[in-house]
Amino acid sequence: MAGYRLADAAGVVEHEDVVYVATLPGGPIAVLSGVAGLILLEACDGPATTLVERVAELTAVDPEEIRAHVEGFVGDLVERGLLVREVS
Amino acid sequence: MSESEVTVPLPVRLRFGHAAVQQVANTAGLDVLHIKGVAVDPELRPTGYAGSDVDVLVRPAHVAAIDRALRAGGWTLYSTFEHGSPFGHAQTYLHESWGYLDIHRYFPGIRLEPERAFELLWEDLHRIELAGTSCRVPSPAAQAVILVLNAARSAKGDRADVLTVWSDADDERREEITELVGRLHAEVAFAAAAGGLERFRDDREYPLWKVVSEGGSRAAEWWARIRAAPSARDRLRLVARAPRVNVEHLAHRLGRTPSRWDIAVEFLRRPLSGVGEGVRSLYRRFGPRRVVR
Repeated sequence: MAGYRLADAAGVVEHEDVVYVATLPGGPIAVLSGVAGLILLEACDGPATTLVERVAELTAVDPEEIRAHVEGFVGDLVERGLLVREVS
Repeated sequence: MSESEVTVPLPVRLRFGHAAVQQVANTAGLDVLHIKGVAVDPELRPTGYAGSDVDVLVRPAHVAAIDRALRAGGWTLYSTFEHGSPFGHAQTYLHESWGYLDIHRYFPGIRLEPERAFELLWEDLHRIELAGTSCRVPSPAAQAVILVLNAARSAKGDRADVLTVWSDADDERREEITELVGRLHAEVAFAAAAGGLERFRDDREYPLWKVVSEGGSRAAEWWARIRAAPSARDRLRLVARAPRVNVEHLAHRLGRTPSRWDIAVEFLRRPLSGVGEGVRSLYRRFGPRRVVR
């Protein structure tokens, strides 16, 4: 199943429970605290089709409540060149 | 998602900075070794001290090319080799996302010709991952040598580093370090930090490392630097340079481009401050004895 991966030009650093991601070598650095960092890591760790359900389970909420937020956020990461949707 | 440099901790920014420089070097096909700060092997820096900037040692033949590549990639020149440090070894850049970067064309204390010294370190390079990018670093023994040589330039001496990487090292590591110090011809500077500098009293670099490692007036440091220069030509160049105003430092201190008036005032101020230091130095040496006598 196709998922996401970090873009070749992206770097990531985890520091004290916060995820920092940046396009290299030009920047800038994006700060992904809380659930935002969790979504990035989870997006790179399984199929795209179940991402919303996995995040919902980890945060103990109804998937439909967060679907638009999660999908919009991941779309933003792709648009910024930080994540790449893998082709199956 | 927030993007604010204020909220990015320094160790995080420095990891990205190292990764960014490595990517610039990879794209341009240039050789760099990451040194100091977050690039140091954790075994050598158990406290995890990250430093305050990114430091890389560049193959001397690649210095001009990395300068061009960095400027094209968004780094701006902050201070030059000539004016950035009294040793003339490093040039500083500033990037809006990664902060300060020092590129070193050689490392103070190493007397082996810079290209050969770089090759010696490059032959035994290791790799570490910083922000997801594979970065080349010197071997742990070479990193230890660099940390001790770096400590030699601090009047306070980064004693914690010297203790960890040298005094507390096991016999095998000390043997590796000693052998490398010999191959790099770095015995005098190494002794200035690790101990035993007096064994080199007759060496032309002895006064320089004595004053740099133990502290002294600016005038004393300049005299020692002139005496340590390897040739008459180098000595003359240093003599000619000593009284000049460092316009880059002055600009950073003032926070603006200095005017001709600022430079003139600074030029007039320096000899006076040198005389003041000289008087204080003489007083320290002879004053109290005169009082006692």
